[in-house]
Amino acid sequence: MAKQTDIQISICGSAGDGTIAVGDIFKRAMARAGYRVIAFDHYPAEIRGFGKCIARTRVATSRVYSMKGYSDVLVSLNDMHAIPHVGEVRNYGALIYDSAPMSAVAEGAHISGHLKPGHIPYAFPMREVSELATGANRSRNFVALGFVAGLYQLPQDTFHHAIAAKFESKAAAVTKSALAAFDSGFEAGAASYQFDDVRIDAPRGRKNAHEAHMMTGNGAIVQGCLDAGIETFFGYPITPATGIMERLAVEMPRRGGRLVQTEDEIAAISATIGAGYAGSRAATATSGPGLSLMTEMMGLGVMAEVPVVIFVSQRGGPSTGLPTKTEQSDLNLAVWGGHGDAKRIVLAPTNVEGCRRCAGRAFEIAEQFQVPVIVLIDLYLSNRYETVFLQDENECLPKNWKHSTTPGAGYRRYELTSDGVSPRCIPGEAGGIHTATGLEHDEYGNPSDNSRTHSLMTEKRHEKLQAAIKYPGINFTKRFGDSGKVEVGLLTWGSTFGETLEAMLLAQKEGIRCAAMKVVMLSPFPVRPVLRFYKDCQQILVPELNYTGQFAKLLSSEIVLPVTRISHTTGAPLDVNILLETIRRAARKHRRHHNAA
Amino acid sequence: MIPQQPVYLEDKVDEIRQSGRLDYRSQALPTWCPGCGYYSVTEGLANALNDLQAPKENTVVVSGIGCASRFPFFMDTYGFHTLHGRALPVATGIKVANEKLTVVAIGGDGDGFAIGGGHIPHTARRNVDITYILFDNGIYGLTKGQVSPTSAIGFTTPTSPFANRDAPLNPLLMLLSYGASWVGQAYAGWSHHLADLIRQALEHRGFSYLHVLSPCVTFDKTDRTYQNLDLAVRELDTDHDSSDLALAMQAATDTSTPALGLYYTSQRETLGQALDQVALRAGAAAESASLG
Amino acid sequence: MPSSMHHVVLGHGIAGNHAASVIREREPDSRITIVSAGALLFYNRYDLPDVFRGRHQWVDYLVHPPEYYESQNIALRRKTRVVELDTQTQTLSLAHRETLHYDKLLIATGGRAYIPERLLDNTDLMNNFHNFRVAMQTQRSVRKNGTVIMLGGDVMGLDLARTIIAAGHRVIVALDNRTFWPHEVAQNERPRYLQALENMGLDVRDHGRVDHIEVGNSKGPARRVLFEDGSEIRGDIVMPFFGLVPAVDFLATSGIDMERGILVSPQLQTARDNIWAAGDVCQIWSTTSNAYRFYYGYRNVKMMGEVAAYNMTGEQSAFESTVDETLEVTSKGTLHSPFWEFD
Repeated sequence: MAKQTDIQISICGSAGDGTIAVGDIFKRAMARAGYRVIAFDHYPAEIRGFGKCIARTRVATSRVYSMKGYSDVLVSLNDMHAIPHVGEVRNYGALIYDSAPMSAVAEGAHISGHLKPGHIPYAFPMREVSELATGANRSRNFVALGFVAGLYQLPQDTFHHAIAAKFESKAAAVTKSALAAFDSGFEAGAASYQFDDVRIDAPRGRKNAHEAHMMTGNGAIVQGCLDAGIETFFGYPITPATGIMERLAVEMPRRGGRLVQTEDEIAAISATIGAGYAGSRAATATSGPGLSLMTEMMGLGVMAEVPVVIFVSQRGGPSTGLPTKTEQSDLNLAVWGGHGDAKRIVLAPTNVEGCRRCAGRAFEIAEQFQVPVIVLIDLYLSNRYETVFLQDENECLPKNWKHSTTPGAGYRRYELTSDGVSPRCIPGEAGGIHTATGLEHDEYGNPSDNSRTHSLMTEKRHEKLQAAIKYPGINFTKRFGDSGKVEVGLLTWGSTFGETLEAMLLAQKEGIRCAAMKVVMLSPFPVRPVLRFYKDCQQILVPELNYTGQFAKLLSSEIVLPVTRISHTTGAPLDVNILLETIRRAARKHRRHHNAA
Repeated sequence: MIPQQPVYLEDKVDEIRQSGRLDYRSQALPTWCPGCGYYSVTEGLANALNDLQAPKENTVVVSGIGCASRFPFFMDTYGFHTLHGRALPVATGIKVANEKLTVVAIGGDGDGFAIGGGHIPHTARRNVDITYILFDNGIYGLTKGQVSPTSAIGFTTPTSPFANRDAPLNPLLMLLSYGASWVGQAYAGWSHHLADLIRQALEHRGFSYLHVLSPCVTFDKTDRTYQNLDLAVRELDTDHDSSDLALAMQAATDTSTPALGLYYTSQRETLGQALDQVALRAGAAAESASLG
Repeated sequence: MPSSMHHVVLGHGIAGNHAASVIREREPDSRITIVSAGALLFYNRYDLPDVFRGRHQWVDYLVHPPEYYESQNIALRRKTRVVELDTQTQTLSLAHRETLHYDKLLIATGGRAYIPERLLDNTDLMNNFHNFRVAMQTQRSVRKNGTVIMLGGDVMGLDLARTIIAAGHRVIVALDNRTFWPHEVAQNERPRYLQALENMGLDVRDHGRVDHIEVGNSKGPARRVLFEDGSEIRGDIVMPFFGLVPAVDFLATSGIDMERGILVSPQLQTARDNIWAAGDVCQIWSTTSNAYRFYYGYRNVKMMGEVAAYNMTGEQSAFESTVDETLEVTSKGTLHSPFWEFD
């Protein structure tokens, strides 16, 4: 049997149980040990109180692309919160819980009464072990973590290292206590007989496994900005993009960058545009509601041909919507939002590494094409952890836009050129004096409502963007799976591509000829590669997390060919199993017709 | 101020040519109504920039939407004609990107205190080192004469045909309470005085707010006219202490006989200096983290 | 029967499992919960010797797959120990501090190995065989061609001995008055049966009473059994096979009538009209013997489960054993116990 590890562990607890903290240590330890890790935690909606926390981590020896729709192991630090999630664990998976809670529980309130017949129970006196090890019930979370490590024979020292690193800035007593609790749990776990079939085999050593970092999409965006040498950032707090601003607030000043929290999103985008106009590598970050506010200014950026980067992390909508749930329903706003013909560039990475790459290149792309660039992600991607190797180069280019060869009295900021991109001068440069404006203007930038001028300028602003499709350094489309003709093709964008890829791989194992393509550049739309993909597929499935099929509609606005839409608006990522079943049905349908023919 | 001696046209034209201030004016002819106060502002700004010998390529004039929209086009400097109410945040962004630039934001009472009202307190409290010239004619001129946040009670306009009943804002009082570090009031009819105040405003290191009273000669023939304003305005008391905030606020409450001059000025850390300090502290933190 | 009727079965052995299945057949709508201390689903204990035949996956031992319990809507509470029974409130107190209410209760907790008092201090040096986990531990502790020392030698041990010998190991049985339990062997018959054991390949020893057990030295066999007469036997493991005692500790304060086991009528009912008992844990009133007695072996235990289930669902059947309890010597000269038979 091939030594493939692919398990998902969920740790359920109450806020205050330290659930997220041990989930964090687990993922970092496993990443360091050389596994591919992907994790997505669930936080309580309330700020205070005893809301539910779930730390979910998937650990594999080879690359994985999404969270699984089920878990292999569930650890309960709080039965009340864990009980609703017992059904997530597959047959012959493990449930680890406390056999001796502090106080009596009502009938049905202990998790042992909710296990399915196929589950394997590991009951041990978590609280008592904790109190014995550290004198407090509070270290229960570390005891549980240790139990998992002991049960599955994970490298103890790697965990020790991760624990020490986590509490580096705290008093030594904290680390000591955590280690004591962990080791007690480890002992208990190692002494348990393993009845479940969870196997965590050693990974093939990647040379620089110790350089693996766990990074979220937001963290990767920040890293990409730093790679590109971001100079100014103006932002307004909004879930789930706030983390980007907070990390940049720490990192930018160290590198001579300047960050200001503004009074609202309109001020944020306005200042970003001002800074971009002045030649700075400027960005802002927001979510759907903020982007709505920013649309007018974005139009100014398009009209005045000002390069800026706007990071947008989508959440459940419309309006205030579901601030802590994920969705992909702002595509329309990002691609089409704003009055007038205001086309801009929209990039939509599909995973954490992609976030880094897109963020890093967005600034130079904005400068090359003198237009606002939106980098569109979602809450799932923002908060999802994946292993990233920072040493992998993100080859960002320094500032180098098309300059004027003839500055001076005759300088035309909006000169009509063959590629549509005009030579750009910024304040401070003698001979480049001009006024940027939101009014339609002639080549010099002077307001003009002349029909021919408007025609030419509109064409210029649109056609100059076409070349963006060929900009090097990022795969704006990429095909996976079977080459050549396939029975079922999957076409999607953003984080949904992860689940889509997983479903495709499973379908392939079942003998279905299928392929999947991700589209990373939403505007301008890469028609050619998508059309080529179309021609190879008997049918195309388009799954996405919104009701109206926004990407499917974008697709059909560019390529008039039928697709099968799969809409999913639950606030949660797509379920791989549901998608797989849809692929199976599609394949069956195709085979029936094929055989009948 | 009424000149004491007669001025001859040729002398004036010579003086203008030689002064050098025309350098700051572009070839485009302004589109304002004859008699509009903006001409005085334009003249005043060109004078001020010339007096300070501010390099044209380092100067950026930022406008919102209104009669002031086109202002940047009439100056031979960099400019940005932005959106209604958004001149201040854009100007902030430009200054943060490049502290060496001289940034002047200009707009009317509607652009500033209606839609743009939310941005003013923050630009002022942060002490962004820009100059905001606010052209207050108590009306929306570009859209042909609607009532504005500074219109007087009783003012009749197409959107207040039965006379305005909303109490007007007091911009000076607001800016003083927002913590603006330089607050002055001028009048388009006193053009030399206006020019001088513009220069002072530009010279001030920090956020300078210059409120300019002016008539809309086309759409307000009854309320805020040159005639009425000539009679109403006065200079600030000669012993006015511009370092006294309470005194300045007191003076600002007199809207029936508006006083002209420098109301208040102080020196405090600008946004640019604050960001530099942040960088120092962050650098220091990074230092100790790498050494520790 | 009202659908909210909650039948609770304590113990997931042959009796408990069969009872639950039968109750479900007869009452499709009532609630059934099996409470068991073990971690695994039901498997046949009689199959466990197969660990010496290389069957090491517990999944292979399951009598029913997990889906069975789901489709039959039988709830399972595993790794759950009962610490107290309150017949007044009809609640069970569970070790993890939860209470469970029942409408009808079947106690089928079986028996545990009897350990003579003098050997209680040495329990950590002995190996058991009552569940999969310990059976695996036992098998792993025996070296290739190693030696297993059985103390006592009840029929379960003797059955296991056959498999261990077939696997190439040596079995020494240290005789005791519990040898051949639960069969009662007359003194004059003993030599014949002991010979049968030897014919089966067992090494039969009579050293008298065991004094204590020690760890052997690192080079040799892991265990030393020392007898009162000063003699000793060495082997890889020591296994107690002194027979069973009913697992009734949790019933101490319950008020249920007990002798060694739970006393029940021929209808397997206790004095409480909603509590029954079945399997190795109970003593059934026998009109023929005019006494309460145990019945052992797969067939008896399964039948008890069935009878209890019928009676819990409205019947008044009486238990009747169909098992001939005679210990035999076969034509080949080997031993055969009817308690070794299972379907």
